[in-house]
Amino acid sequence: MTSASAGRDGSEVDALITDRYLEALLAAHARGADHGPAAAEPPAPIRLAADRLARDLPRFHPSFRFEEALAARLAEAAARMDLRAAAGAEGLVVPLPGRVHDALPGADPAVDAAAAVDAAVDDPRSGIGRPLLIGGALTSAALSIAGAAYVAWRLNRPPASAMARAARAVARTRPV
Amino acid sequence: MARPAFWKVDRPEEGGPRLAHLDRDRRLVEAAQADPARFEALYRKYLAQVYSYAFYELRDHHEAEDATERTFLAALTNLGRFEERARPADGEGASTFRVWLFQIARNAVAERRRRRQRRPEAPLEAAAAVAAPIDLEADAALHDDAAAAWRAVGRLTGDRRRALILRFVDEMSTAEIAGVLGRSEGAVRVLIHRALRSVARDLDDPSR
Repeated sequence: MTSASAGRDGSEVDALITDRYLEALLAAHARGADHGPAAAEPPAPIRLAADRLARDLPRFHPSFRFEEALAARLAEAAARMDLRAAAGAEGLVVPLPGRVHDALPGADPAVDAAAAVDAAVDDPRSGIGRPLLIGGALTSAALSIAGAAYVAWRLNRPPASAMARAARAVARTRPV
Repeated sequence: MARPAFWKVDRPEEGGPRLAHLDRDRRLVEAAQADPARFEALYRKYLAQVYSYAFYELRDHHEAEDATERTFLAALTNLGRFEERARPADGEGASTFRVWLFQIARNAVAERRRRRQRRPEAPLEAAAAVAAPIDLEADAALHDDAAAAWRAVGRLTGDRRRALILRFVDEMSTAEIAGVLGRSEGAVRVLIHRALRSVARDLDDPSR
């Protein structure tokens, strides 16, 4: 070490020289070299100690059994995280009966969706009185604001009974 | 180590090109954030490094496994909050994900140490034996030079030992070690320099 290396600043200079040597040393070892680079600095004891650590310090790997067991635990945790995300962050629109879409080919998707809701509300076999959303808000791009308004209107207006529908049909066919 | 790369991240319709630094782990981290099942790639990549660090610190295979498991489970659980911030100035192969992961590992190791000290059924002698510079299993596996290096590092105190392990075993840059230990780069350089002086004296000492 030089006389300038006395004191705090000197330590930092020495440390910087050592750091540069270590960069070159570890790069040489990564290339498969047996020895570190030839250098006048840092002092020989530090160079030799660094050379020995770079060459001799072992790396450890856990057992294959542990590695695979932890991989399985992480996969389980990842699957749970997926389920939580599906339940909380994004709404999932359950597919509605396809026959409505079959009946209205080429129609506006928002109308399609509203008609699907209408059909589901009317159909006693559907088992649901409204679109089923699992988690989160209604985010389907298929439902426009107009569609949503129609859904709200339709839900507040109970479906007519079979008798009422028959009476209206008779009234429409009757000449005025 | 992988060379830092720059890639275009814009779409043509979004105006002029925008360049973003692509660090070593950015794509793996983003994939895992989008789909937690893809965290496995990061796990396989860093398992040995984290385990080595934990084993050097705890000197016990079972405790190192426990700390490793806690580290990766915590990393997976909190990955959504992690943000990659590596810059070109951080050097080749810089990864803030690795720094973040080793900060978790450091906490997991410290927790294991605290638990070891609190454990009522373990007498003080047993704790000292576990914390001894080398255990029988490792002793059998290492040849003389490796055992001497292992013992010399084990005799270092706190952050000096951690800094040397991260530098020589995990091959971290000074900037990354500074991130893991929560110190400045200058402080880490001085720490490593002094640690090497201690190791040099230790390896020269025939009584060791």
